[in-house]
Amino acid sequence: MPLLEVKRLKKVYTTRFGGNTVQALTNVSFTVEKGEFTAIMGESGSGKTTLLNLIAAFDKPTDGEVLLNGKSIHSIREDEIAAFRRDHLGFVFQDFNLLDTFSIQDNIFLPLVLAGKSYEEMNRELAPIAKILGISDILSKFPYEVSGGQKQRAAIARALITRPEIILADEPTGALDSHATESLLKLFSEINKAGQTILMVTHSIKAACHAGRVLFIKDGELFHQLYRGSQLNAEMYQKITDTLTMIAAGGERFE
Amino acid sequence: MSRFFYGKIALNNIKRNSKTYIPFILTCVGAVSLFYNMYFLSVAKDIGSVSDNRSLRLILRLGAVVVGIFSLIFLFYTNSFLIKQRKKEFGLFNVLGMEKKHIARVMFYETLMTGTGGIVTGVLLGILVSKLMILLLLKIVKFKATFGFEVPVEAIGATVILFGAIFILNLVYNYSQVHRTKPAELLKSPNLGEREPKTKWFATIVGVLSLGAGYYIALTTESPLVALNIFFFAVILVIIGTYCLFTAGSIAFLKMLRKNKKYYYRANHFASVSGMIYRMKQNAVGLSNICILSTAVIIMLSTTFSLYIGMEDELRNRYPRNIMVSARNVPAEKAEELNRFIGEQVESVGANQKNIVYYRYMSFIVIKSGQEYVFGNSAGYAYNNSVLFTFITQEDYNRMENAQVSLDDNEMLLYAVKGKIPGDDISFNGLKFSIREHLSSFSIYEQSSSILAQSNYAVVKDTKTIRKVYSALNGDGDMGELSYYYGFDTDAEKDTQIELVRILRQKLGNVTKDGFVEGAEHERDGFYTIYGGLFFLGIFLGLLFIMATVLIIYYKQIAEGFDDRDRFNIMQKVGMSRKEIWKSVRSQVLTVFFIPLGAAIVHLAFAFKVITRLLLIFNLTNILLYAGCTLLVVFVFAVFYTAVYSLTARTYYRIVSA
Ligand SMILES: Nc1ncnc2c1ncn2[C@@H]1O[C@H](COP(=O)(O)OP(=O)(O)O)[C@@H](O)[C@H]1O
Ligand SMILES: [Mg+2]
Repeated sequence: MPLLEVKRLKKVYTTRFGGNTVQALTNVSFTVEKGEFTAIMGESGSGKTTLLNLIAAFDKPTDGEVLLNGKSIHSIREDEIAAFRRDHLGFVFQDFNLLDTFSIQDNIFLPLVLAGKSYEEMNRELAPIAKILGISDILSKFPYEVSGGQKQRAAIARALITRPEIILADEPTGALDSHATESLLKLFSEINKAGQTILMVTHSIKAACHAGRVLFIKDGELFHQLYRGSQLNAEMYQKITDTLTMIAAGGERFE
Repeated sequence: MSRFFYGKIALNNIKRNSKTYIPFILTCVGAVSLFYNMYFLSVAKDIGSVSDNRSLRLILRLGAVVVGIFSLIFLFYTNSFLIKQRKKEFGLFNVLGMEKKHIARVMFYETLMTGTGGIVTGVLLGILVSKLMILLLLKIVKFKATFGFEVPVEAIGATVILFGAIFILNLVYNYSQVHRTKPAELLKSPNLGEREPKTKWFATIVGVLSLGAGYYIALTTESPLVALNIFFFAVILVIIGTYCLFTAGSIAFLKMLRKNKKYYYRANHFASVSGMIYRMKQNAVGLSNICILSTAVIIMLSTTFSLYIGMEDELRNRYPRNIMVSARNVPAEKAEELNRFIGEQVESVGANQKNIVYYRYMSFIVIKSGQEYVFGNSAGYAYNNSVLFTFITQEDYNRMENAQVSLDDNEMLLYAVKGKIPGDDISFNGLKFSIREHLSSFSIYEQSSSILAQSNYAVVKDTKTIRKVYSALNGDGDMGELSYYYGFDTDAEKDTQIELVRILRQKLGNVTKDGFVEGAEHERDGFYTIYGGLFFLGIFLGLLFIMATVLIIYYKQIAEGFDDRDRFNIMQKVGMSRKEIWKSVRSQVLTVFFIPLGAAIVHLAFAFKVITRLLLIFNLTNILLYAGCTLLVVFVFAVFYTAVYSLTARTYYRIVSA
């Protein structure tokens, strides 16, 4: 059984005063196996964030369903959804979403505190993660005192500390400079090698190169997918570029 | 670009910011009409017919000054808050190609519109309610007379000039704000990278010390005259303490909570404690303002209200008998002559006499120094340890109390009005007396000596003994004769009593020098005028302060709503359920909201004693009455405050969940 199954997802947004409707997703299906590092690419406005929000149960689909370990996440009761998210999913956002009122350490602790863990336990969990992510020195600082790259590492630590089954990342490198991007992607690869399943939305080709598989979305539908297999980075880069060029040219689906 | 164009942009801006601008304009309208009315009353012709209208006008003029100063501070403060919120908007204009001078022009039109709108509407509203106000005032001072409708140009002029100046001041401030900031800064959202506040131990300690000192003064001041001298000082200390503790103390306290790992890392404390640190940083000044305004409103209303309610008592305390005659330096034979003279005059107007109190006395203000009482000069009034002794002879005592006391040279009877004197011996600068009896009742004690912390009546053998006390205290010098007091009640009509006082005053000079006549009825109208005027002022300023409090609360809720919305979103994404977030947010909002009221009530509790002392100066001795009025005012205010909270909280929750 795959870890994550996305079945015929459809999402139609209706603006507040009725009237206009936007079809963000038409019909998207795919699966993610345990231990995979999957990237989702597509032009701006193609529905990537919408897709991720549906997988995270931040929003309800118009049609279709999302299964995690065979269980439909949209059937979970409203008051249990927060706990479910905390226990099974980890999030990394483009704009980090760290709370200014907490130190880096407290930001990372937040999900554990909510789960009722003791301070000693939390510290035990944090120490190895902080070491891997290289943020041991900045734990007592506040978000506004550290760089974007460090903020994003903190956000990753927050996502990892609950040992989630899957990490969902929405353009995690979008707000970072090239140096920070590079080291963050290396980190993702390492975490993935250690067994962590990752689903990452990106429009950076360089970022997508690190993934084991790349899905392309166009106009709310799955357009194409690429497997990395044993290809080198450069080969992968070329293939992704080709696919994107085709999408931009309005080309038909192939393969 | 045409003038028309700027005007249009300005109008659009006001519309777009209506959530914050409409309350601001409404407050301007309120302040303008309150000021107009206060000024109007102080110059209104109708007031001229009230007795003692000069004091009343003085009170009203004072009220107008307070309203004016307060409006200036408050509208300036509110405007600076609004312009801070709008910096981003101006930054956008700037980036879109508007130069600063164009922005300034837009601001000019905005001010012109809000200013003119606020002033014109305020004056019209003021004129509309002015008739109501003067009727209310006349009713409160118990004066039945109403004339036509009056719109003094002077009042309109003063209002327009004052508020016009306030708007110009605000405009200048806004210009300087936009001029000083660079467009990049203007664009930056106001909360971006809000720093965690530092713990300011110095300010915390200053706060604790000054609040403690203020409370200490309030609790230890016994003498009303001392209270009058240092009340203002204590108020300043408490205000400083409030600001320091709200701004620095609260953060120091919260950070201490955060240091306690066991307490802090719990689901229901975690977000609240850190959220409160941030919230206090943003709101501390606003909250201190609310606290101080609330305290002021409650004190003003409860004191003026209890003074007004207890007016009959106060009149009686101030004038223990309907008619009172006193004179200095009156020998025994002269006293007989005065008694006869008064009797004749009373008869001449056909009035009767009852509850007659008549005696001769000599008063000394002394200071306790070790076991001795020593001479205190007149400045001694202002000390906590000054004590008043009024000496009378056993002859007068026996006559008034129907007693047959016979004292030795060094014996006295002592009646302590306020402050007990322990033991059976007393010494005046070496002159020793033994106290034969501590009297438990004394029929003449109503003599208004209540403004000193301690006051006693001493009965001694004769005038010679009193002279000895005088020499002991003053060294040499001639005491002269005793002073004379004669007071009585009468059933005569008010007009008769007033006539009698007039006659007595006219003729007393023929009998004795340094004579003095007072009549309760003669003063009654003046009493009503002053106490009623104070009560009216209390209501009026109370209204103004409440208006200000409501506006601060409203702005606080809006500002917090926008801040909390982002935090709320993040927490939800990270795995906090809506319910958990609401719980935490609610508890924070509630705490922040009710802290000022709680602090105000604590201030009131500490101020209670010193205020009862101050009320003594206004002849209010009924502490229970003041306590009751305070409780009533606190209750009404709390209900009102809670109502404002629930109304503004709705706006807050709507913003947060949008
Ligand atoms: N809450 C919303 N209400 C209405 N339309 C939305 C909403 N969120 C996204 N959309 C629309 O759905 C489409 C897909 O958006 P999104 O998923 O954010 O794209 P991406 O993340 O790929 O840039 C866009 O056309 C966007 O305008
Ligand atoms: Mg997106």
